[in-house]
Amino acid sequence: MLEELTFGFPILSMLLFFPLVGGLILCLLDDDDLIKNAALAVAGLELVLAIVVLLRFIPDSAAMQFSEQVAWIPPLGISYHLALDGISVLFVGLTAFLTVLIVLYSWDTVRHQLKLYFAALLALETTIVGVFVSIDLILFFVFWELMLIPSYFLIKLWGGGAERQYAALKYVLYTLLGSVFMLLGIVLLDLNYHEWAVAHHIEPSYTFDFLQLLMIPIPPDRQVLIFWLIFLGLVFKAPLFPFHTWLPDVLIEGPIGMAVILAGIKLGTYGFIRFSLPLLPEASQDESVVAVMMTLGLLAIIYGAIVALIQPDFRRLLAFSSISHLGFVVVGLFALNFQGLQGSLLTMINLGFSTAGLFFLAGFLYARRQSTHLSSFGGLAKKVPLLATFLLIIGLASIGLPGTNGFVGEFLILLGAFEAYWLYGAVAVTGVIFGAAYFLWYYERAMFGPLPQGLSHAIADLNVRETVIAVSLSVMIFWIGLYPAPFLHIMNGSVQALVNRLDRGSVAETGGSLGVRREALGESKADASPRATSLSPHPSPLTPHGI
Amino acid sequence: MTFNLSMSGSDLLLLLPEMLLTVWLCVVLVVDFAMPRLPKVRLAYLSVGGLATVLLNLLWFDRTGVTGTLFADMFVVDRLAIFFKILIVIATALVILVSVDYVRRFRFFKGEYYFLILMSALGMMFMASANDLLSVFITLEFSTFGFYVLVAYLRDDVASNEAGLKFFILGVFVAGLLAYGISLVFGETGKLVFSDIAAAPPTTGLIIGFLLIFGALGFKIGAVPFHSWIPDTYHGAPTPVTAFLSIAPKGAAFAILLRMFLVSLATLKPAWVLLMVGVSILSMTYGNVVAIAQKNIKRLLAYSGIAQVGNILIGLAAGTKMGGDAILFYLLTYLFANLGAFAVVIAVGNLIRSDEIEDYSGLNRRSPFLAMAMLVFLLSLAGVPPLAGFIGKLYIFVAAINEGLYTLLVVGLLNIVISMYYYLIVVKKMYINEPIDRTPLPISTPMKAAIYVCLAGTLILGVYPQPFIDWAVSATLMFSQFTAPAALAVPPTVLPFGG
Repeated sequence: MLEELTFGFPILSMLLFFPLVGGLILCLLDDDDLIKNAALAVAGLELVLAIVVLLRFIPDSAAMQFSEQVAWIPPLGISYHLALDGISVLFVGLTAFLTVLIVLYSWDTVRHQLKLYFAALLALETTIVGVFVSIDLILFFVFWELMLIPSYFLIKLWGGGAERQYAALKYVLYTLLGSVFMLLGIVLLDLNYHEWAVAHHIEPSYTFDFLQLLMIPIPPDRQVLIFWLIFLGLVFKAPLFPFHTWLPDVLIEGPIGMAVILAGIKLGTYGFIRFSLPLLPEASQDESVVAVMMTLGLLAIIYGAIVALIQPDFRRLLAFSSISHLGFVVVGLFALNFQGLQGSLLTMINLGFSTAGLFFLAGFLYARRQSTHLSSFGGLAKKVPLLATFLLIIGLASIGLPGTNGFVGEFLILLGAFEAYWLYGAVAVTGVIFGAAYFLWYYERAMFGPLPQGLSHAIADLNVRETVIAVSLSVMIFWIGLYPAPFLHIMNGSVQALVNRLDRGSVAETGGSLGVRREALGESKADASPRATSLSPHPSPLTPHGI
Repeated sequence: MTFNLSMSGSDLLLLLPEMLLTVWLCVVLVVDFAMPRLPKVRLAYLSVGGLATVLLNLLWFDRTGVTGTLFADMFVVDRLAIFFKILIVIATALVILVSVDYVRRFRFFKGEYYFLILMSALGMMFMASANDLLSVFITLEFSTFGFYVLVAYLRDDVASNEAGLKFFILGVFVAGLLAYGISLVFGETGKLVFSDIAAAPPTTGLIIGFLLIFGALGFKIGAVPFHSWIPDTYHGAPTPVTAFLSIAPKGAAFAILLRMFLVSLATLKPAWVLLMVGVSILSMTYGNVVAIAQKNIKRLLAYSGIAQVGNILIGLAAGTKMGGDAILFYLLTYLFANLGAFAVVIAVGNLIRSDEIEDYSGLNRRSPFLAMAMLVFLLSLAGVPPLAGFIGKLYIFVAAINEGLYTLLVVGLLNIVISMYYYLIVVKKMYINEPIDRTPLPISTPMKAAIYVCLAGTLILGVYPQPFIDWAVSATLMFSQFTAPAALAVPPTVLPFGG
């Protein structure tokens, strides 16, 4: 986890800024068709870049790869430090993939201020990629906050609902409220490092670098405080029940593209697995912390599923199903074992195909019926067989049918949960049943039975662009469902390192003696792939070693 | 105490920036009298040119490290003074640029306006150099005289007259408090120079004296509970004067506050930290909460300014050298963001003759440039990364947390959320609402120049703050020997900010 590999080419910086630059160039164009094509080209090239990163990524390695580091604000120890490991690399691919699909989806569904829309969307992509590639906590926070600005405009200007003004403001203020506490937590981490560095005469004495922070002891009681502060930032964004109230509003009032991103890219839970668990291992294993997190996760599963059961509006149903799925992710994370973490990580990726995919289909339905309310559906399977088929495929993936990606992720989570404590697993399983119930029941009412009154005219089935979206999602669903090995290999190394760190506790607890870490260095060098070069960012006693 | 007022050539050199400015303001006044046909805009350019020479002079001082004291330690030139003088000169130049269009509204005394602005700037430059309590009194009054006239400059406008009167009466009252406080401190210690007072034992008289002085300076910076003049004065005064008032006097007063609290009162820190925490919390919370209800953009910025002062006071509450650095850096970020926001308000106000937030509806359609600039400035004021305001807030929070001021910090963070709400309301009006009138808004060249400078400042300070932080750090080096030992856990030679 502490080892860093460089790539010799700043591919992450390119990945990070390419959409933003593309979006700015878009602003210079005037012709609507040209703008659409250019947006597609930018998103497509970004996807190509992301695929290159995925192909060049060394699987089964815990190392931070493609590392880039430049000092940004040295007096405060803030650096522009980018890197990817097995935990974050898949999210970058997912973000690029979904953005391409959103551009395709928006082709003829967004009708006004196209230029601004695509520029905002691409800027949003940059900030999301930024969240995943940042290894410096302040840099991470910068992108985390920056996300709000394009999101705010996307919801407000292109949202479909009448209450979108309110939804956008609610979204920004809620997440901001959480974020300020997270910032406090981050600053406390820095302070802790500062105290330790001063006591050990280490310069520079301030750092926000994740890898540097990993190497110093944090007293357990302070860890718990920091954990809860960061927790507030993450759960508002995630959003975890009971901090979720903005989510249904935004998903319904905002544009489909925004809903896909919010439901598909799990930034909040990523924050837990990226920062909270490794930085605060003692706090994460604290009995009361685990109990609270598990309870919240299980409550979210059951609450989300039950509320989803009675929703007449498809997008509202999806919002609550998303909350329920997020509960699974949290349960997997705080099972704190290999299967649980692996399952959570895979499920976060899966949701980007299944839940986000369902939002695309909700968008297709909306385009046909100008509503996603049950009253305007019924018997549609006869009219739009292709749409109905894809809705079933992606829906079944979302409820975790074997053979689809949802099954692999949820199975691993349940395995991990049972291993941690059988009761957690037992309660979580009920969520699977509820999930099947709400989706299948809704599907039956929407797609079969009598046609709604007044629907006499023919409605078109999926057009080419929509089919492309649905097919590419289905391909991913079956790929992960039937042959998850490549994905699991990518994440295994980092997940194993995380489990090891949780077992051993923070380095502090081993007395912070350099000897222990030197041993570990020997181990990690043996693991390192021959074509990789180890890089130590700071010539200080704190040179990163393997843990 | 003996006063030696004889001056050598090198002593005079220390006064060069002030003397230059004095020459320039006389030139402006004389040119205005001598050439009545001259377009007044030339006077503005003349003033900016003059300020540029002063700025060059100050930058030269900063580079070569000119330091020294004059008039029996009453007047000091050190890195801190130079920093604040540069801040004031930049603010003055920007204010003059944004005034050009506004001045056309005045019916009389258009030329004298620039003279008065320069005179206030001169007073504030002296404030930045004030090193004893007497010079604090003289310079503070000197700088305020110009403002008394400027605030009431719209002669036929009731609000402007009301603003001027309120500002004047309260200002005079505060001058009385200041004089009384100074007399108490002098009576207790027999000393006037800040560093001499540092050795004095804390007596009741000394503490009451300093409280009174703090009240007077609190009035200057507009901290709660000394803020009552701010909303009406900001609202009624000509907008460029409001913009000037909102930054330059605050900067100059913070120079004095820093010298007073980090030098004279450094040993008494445990006693005044609580005072600072209280004033800071009150200012932030009051400013932000009341700002929410404002319908007028100038009043909104007035209250947001009160809250920003609360934020800056967090740095003073930290009471360390790092707190001082953070204040300096924060003031720089505030200079560009706040002046920029006011520049947009002036540009819009000149064209639509209104400062109501309602009239900002659809600004994006009428002038995308102004709307975008306003968005950047407001987000920077709110502290959204990666703009300047974020780094400023972060710096100040880190300084405070190093001193364990957790309560203050939590209040500060919550206030960011509150402030975001009302800034977003303005953003919403500009971008989402439909414009009532769709005519595009043209912007004059000097205004555009000022807005570009502010935009550049806001972005550069956010994205590449390093050189500016270094500058702030080197400007406050003198405090390391006075602040409490806790701040010196690291020996000065290896201070993390040494470079």
